[in-house]
Order: sequence, then C-alpha cells, then structure tokens
Amino acid sequence: MAEPSEPRVVDRLWRIWPSVAVVAIVLIGALLGVLIIPIVQGRGAGIDPLTAICRALGIVPGSPALPQIVDRSPPTPVSQVVWTSQVLQILAEAKPERGRAKVQEVCSACHGEQGESVSTEFPNLAGQSGTAIYKQLNDYHTGSRTNQFMTDIAKALDETTIADVAAYYAGQPMRNPNPLTLAEAPSAIVRLVELGDPDRSIPPCAACHRHGAGGPIDAPVLSEQRQEYLTSQLKMFASGQRRNDVYGRMRAIAAKLTDSEINGLAAYYRAGFR
Amino acid sequence: MRNTERLCLAHFWLAFAAFVGAAVLGTWQMWVRSPLGAPTGTPGEYYMSVTAHGVMMAYVLSTFFIMGFGYFVAVTALNRPLPGKDWAWVGFFVGIVGVIMTLVTIALGKASVLYTFYPPLTASPWFYIGLVLVVVASWVWCALMLVSMAAWKRENPGRPVPLAMFATVANAVMWLWTTVGVVAELLYQVLPAALGFVQTVDVGLSRTLFSWTLHAIVYFWLMPAYIAFYTMVPGAAGGRLYSDTMGRLTFIFFLIYSLPVGLHHLLMDPEHGNGFKFIQVLLTAFVTAPTVLTVFTIPASLEIAGRLRGGRGLFGWIWALPWGRPMVLATGLSFVMLGFGGLGGLINMAYGMNAMIHNTAWVTAHFHLIYGGTSVIMYFAIAYELWPRLTGRQHPSLAPLRWQLWLWFVGMMVMTLPWHWLGLQGQWRRVANFNYDNPIIASWGPLVVVSLGGGLLLLASALLFVRNLVALHRSAQSTPTGPLYALAVHPPQRVPAALNGFGLWNVLVLVSMLLAYGYPIAQFVIAPSPTAIVHRTG
Repeated sequence: MAEPSEPRVVDRLWRIWPSVAVVAIVLIGALLGVLIIPIVQGRGAGIDPLTAICRALGIVPGSPALPQIVDRSPPTPVSQVVWTSQVLQILAEAKPERGRAKVQEVCSACHGEQGESVSTEFPNLAGQSGTAIYKQLNDYHTGSRTNQFMTDIAKALDETTIADVAAYYAGQPMRNPNPLTLAEAPSAIVRLVELGDPDRSIPPCAACHRHGAGGPIDAPVLSEQRQEYLTSQLKMFASGQRRNDVYGRMRAIAAKLTDSEINGLAAYYRAGFR
Repeated sequence: MRNTERLCLAHFWLAFAAFVGAAVLGTWQMWVRSPLGAPTGTPGEYYMSVTAHGVMMAYVLSTFFIMGFGYFVAVTALNRPLPGKDWAWVGFFVGIVGVIMTLVTIALGKASVLYTFYPPLTASPWFYIGLVLVVVASWVWCALMLVSMAAWKRENPGRPVPLAMFATVANAVMWLWTTVGVVAELLYQVLPAALGFVQTVDVGLSRTLFSWTLHAIVYFWLMPAYIAFYTMVPGAAGGRLYSDTMGRLTFIFFLIYSLPVGLHHLLMDPEHGNGFKFIQVLLTAFVTAPTVLTVFTIPASLEIAGRLRGGRGLFGWIWALPWGRPMVLATGLSFVMLGFGGLGGLINMAYGMNAMIHNTAWVTAHFHLIYGGTSVIMYFAIAYELWPRLTGRQHPSLAPLRWQLWLWFVGMMVMTLPWHWLGLQGQWRRVANFNYDNPIIASWGPLVVVSLGGGLLLLASALLFVRNLVALHRSAQSTPTGPLYALAVHPPQRVPAALNGFGLWNVLVLVSMLLAYGYPIAQFVIAPSPTAIVHRTG
C-alpha cells in the first residue's frame, strides 16, 4: 500500500484534482450559460426553453432575454447591386481589352475613348473606380437610375460587358492634380472636404470620394470631374430626383448643402486629387 | 557567456529603440486629439501613427524584450549554456527583417490598419508578412526555451526546475497557444485578401480568431513583470520568496485562464450566442486568481524583508523596505497601477458594465495601465537589474533611475485616470480628431489636456531611461553584484510532477479551448455568415 506522501501518489493526486477542477469550472459555466440562465431569462421574455437554449448557443439568432424584433415591412432597395463575392470576382476577372472594343463602339461618343468626356454635362471616366462605374451602369440597366441616353444603352449590356467597360475606364490614367486650382479653393470648401461639418452631420467628402478612402466601395473617386456634371448631380440628389444612393446617403448630405457650397465643391473637384 | 550577453543586449536594444520611437508618436497622437491641436497632421497620418505606435509597443518592444529576458534566464537560472545559440541569432535576424518590413510599409502609408488589423481593412501584404516573421522569430525562442528546460531536467532528474525558468517556459508555452489564433487569421483570411486572392472576408470569424490571441497576448507581455515579482523582487528587498508553490500555481493559472477567455472582447458582437459569452466571462473571472495569489505572496515576501530590516508593527515593515532600490520601487508603483488597471478590467469583462464603456477611452486607459504601466515599469526595473550583469558596469548613480520610474508612474496615472473618466463620458477611442465646437465635446477638453500632460511626462521618462542606460555604458568596469534570484523561505527539494512541467496543463488548455471555442469557431464553417467586402488600404 503506497503512503500518501510518496512522490508517485502525490503526482497522481496533482494530476487528478486539477483536471477535475478545470473541467468542472468549464462545465459549470456551460450549465449556467446555456441552460439555466437562458431558460430563466426566456421564461421572463415569453420564449420557450428550447428556443432560449438555441439562442444562448448561437444556433438561432437573438438573445434569450428578449423577443426577437422582426421587421415585416417589404424591402424597397434603391439599387439592385449586391456586392457578393461572385460579383466582386467578376469584376476582378474583367478584361479591359474587351471593354475597349465596347467603349470604341458605344461609350466614346460622349465619354471619350480615354475617359475624357466631350461635353461638360457628361462625366469624365478616366481612372474612375471600377466598382463605381459597374454600380451606375447596373443601376441604369435595372432602372434604379435613369437618363435619356444611358438607360437604353445600359439595358443592352450584359453583366460581363459592364464589368469589362468598368475595368477599361478604371485603367485609364487620371492626370496630375492642378496646384493652381487647389490654391484657389476657399478654406470653407476645403474644410467641408477634409473635415465635413459635424454640426450639420455632414461627413467629410474625402472620407468616401478619395482614392483608397474607407467608404462604400461603389463611391466614385472625385477628381478632375466636370463641374457642371457634379453640380447637376448634387442638385438632383438634394431634390430627390436621383435616388440610387444606398441608404439615401447622398440625398441626406446634398439636401444640407447650400447652393454656393454645391458650386464650390463642384469647382473644387474639377481639379485633381489623387 | 560573452556571446549570450551580446544576444540579450541585442534583443533589449531593439526592443527599447522601438519603445522610444513609439513613445514619441504616442505623445504626438495625444497632442493632435487635444483641443490644443498640433500644427500639422491629417487624420490619415494619425492612423498611420497609431498603427506604428501599436506595432512598436505591442509587438516589437514586448516580443524582443521577452526573448532577450528569456535567454538571460535560461542561462543564469539553469546555470548552463543556451542550447542552439546560433538558432537564437537566426531568430533575432528574422525578427529584425520582419520589423523593418512592417515599419517601412507603415511609413509608406500602406498599412494604416492599426496593430489589431480590423479586417475587412487590409494593408499591403508586406505588413503582415513582416509580422509573421516576428512571430516566427518568437517561435524559435519558444523552442529554445523548451529545449533548455528539457535538457536541464534530463541532467537533474527529480529536481524542481528553478522558478524563473519554469515561469519563462510557462510564458513560451502560453505564447505558442496564443499565436495560433492570430496566425490562423493572417494566413487563412487576411493575407489571401491582401494579396487579392479573395474579395470578401468573414469578419465574424476573423474577430473570433483574433480574440483567441487578444487576451493571452497581454499576459505574454505581463509575464516578465510577474517573473520579476516572484524571482527578483524578494531578493532585491533583502528577503525571501514566501512560497515557491504559489509562484508555480500563478504561472500555471496564467497559462490555463488566459486562453479560453477571449470572447469577453466580443461582448457586443452579434456573431456569438450569449451562452458562450457567459462561459468565457466566467473563465475570465478566474484570471483574477493568479493576480490574487501574487497580491498575497509578493507583499508577504516583502513583509519578510521589511521585518528582517527591522520593521515593526502592522505596517512598519512597509517603511523599512529599501524603496531606494529601483526593483523595489518599481514593484510598489507597478502594484498601484495593477490595482487601478485590474479593477478597470473587471468592468470591461462584465457583460452589462462593458456596454457603458465599450470602445471608449476607458478601454485605452485600461490597457495602458496594465501593459504600459504595470508591465513596462517592470521592464525598466529588469533592464536596470540586468544591464550591470550583461555589461560588467555599474549605474553611476541610482537617483536618475528612481526619477525615471517615478516620472513613468506619475505620467501614466495622469494620462490614464482622465481617460477613464472621459470613457465614462462617452469619449470614443480610435478617433483622429474631435469637434471641440460641440459643447459636450468641449467639456472634455480640459481633461484631454491634462492627459496630454501625462503623455509628456511619459515621453520625458522614456528619454531619461535611454539616458540612464547610456550613462551605465559610459561608466567604469566593475564586478557584478550579488545573486539575482531570490530563495524561497522553504526552498523546494521536490515538487509534484504537475508543478514541474506542462504536459498536464497543455491537455487541460486543449480541453478548455475545445469547450469554450469549439462551436464558436465551428459555426463559421457549419453556417457561413455573410462576408464583408475587402477594403485594401495598401
């Protein structure tokens, strides 16, 4: 019979009891966390025990302590574009050479072969973000955005062609910033671009519209854009005439801008900022 | 031994070079955020700076200091040469390459994703590859620590591994477990996104994997402080360690309860059920156990020292302690910061109270107190203790050392106590600038300026620290001082096998991790959630 103080016995006790303690602590946690507390909380919230336990485990959504709020209002998306990994993969695999053919055939008449538009009412597309061009062409295609020229043109394009055209224009170089125009920008406009106006809940334009900014990926890069085009778009957002901005972000912002701010911003973004 | 000393010093100097750079950046960041407003700096530069500050403090300072300290302990506590010393140098240079790669990428503005990554933000791949190299370097260190202890045990069958080495290996084992989460996140999710192989990333999974690492990494940083408390402080104070067993239990507790607890960083996240959050919060509560053991054992050891030095009465022994010695002074100051930081942490880990301070300046205050305060002040004390032994020179005077430690303590308190208060007021963290025209935010202004004052004291202390080390290098050669490691009141002749190795504890960590993290991670495979669009900043 081994003595309790023998090393072998001591070692065995030191193996058994810590193991029991450590596993027991986890199991007590599980007993409380996924059985007792959810059942008790669920009873208070009118949730049956099984649902409450499943919620505590994370198998079904929601808290065991609260009835899950269900929104039954029908969704009315302002755009049909969904950035699934498949869509992003299509864009990643787009072929600019194929896009060039379509551009020469159709787009170049207004937007120029290199993306420099022929008239101030049409946007420049050179170096524009591919996802922004894709989103707008898709919105024209589905009717989320309308335009007397673009609607019919976009309806004739399939998804791959849209991606190819977007990739082609995205690959055209933007020109360098024009320091002369930069220097002329009034400080209030520069402040709006860089810092926004927190008092009016206006975020800085640069937070989304600068190359590599952290906003939604479909936000267009703004630089060397046509001033007249920008002015008209901001006014259309402000009036609600254009409404393909997800969550109404641009409608909310544009409605808070004064006419002189709209003109000032459009003039600011006439110059290049990359 | 010369080569080992060079090895340790190389690691320490790299760590502290990063530390000084990061201290400068941290002060600048506080200036930018304050109502005083720094004359230069855009939000983009702010985030670049925060990323660099975090990487240099949390990855470079900590990892290289711990590696250098570990090599020192392996040689001195075991009293045998370091096996595979060439591998240690290989690890060091791999680490340096990683650090340079990472910092250059940040400086080029291609990695402003903060040191905690935050997918779907992705930086240039070089940023992550550099960090993986730093982790690889630390794995080399872990392997050498394990090999050292195993070799010693073979040569000394049945004898207890010296506590300093036991604790160092506990840290190495814990670090191996810790890095699994972040490395899985980087290799499986973030790098493929940064390289353009995938266009979306499951943010729930990446946050979960990072949470695996996020709590234990802080204990990795904290362990050197605890190693000093148990093995150096009692001797420095002129006494003995109250209990060797308490020390072993403390480090084992750290190993077990630093890992299956990370979900308490995700209490506001929707991807996990309340049940698993509860389990991990309960386990988090056990993290207090090693600290409670330490708060008992170390003051008990100091009481022994105080009474040996003639201290009488209930508290008389406290005044009898040799507070002029940097190691003792740093321990006292570290304990005060541990008290504030630890109590703040109890708020963070509590589901309901966390909701009030989640993502506010409170959290920043908490981890600056625990890491920047409690841990780093002990890094200073350890450096002051080891440098004479590594260089064979003495500090010309202890007064500037004491000044430096006091400045660090006062600076840290003046910086973080206002942050706690501001966090309660709702001041959010990770924000480049505040609109002080807003009356509510304007009311925060004075406290933000006070905390900037604390930041300036910290910067002064950081510079004084380097000055103190340089002064030592310039002093004359002299013989090293007495023994470094404290004896226990009852030096152990034999300890149970469980307290002399990590086999059992590794099994228990595995079981705990399977129970606590098994389903929370598996659910992302069983029922994949909607993924987020990768946002490439690099």
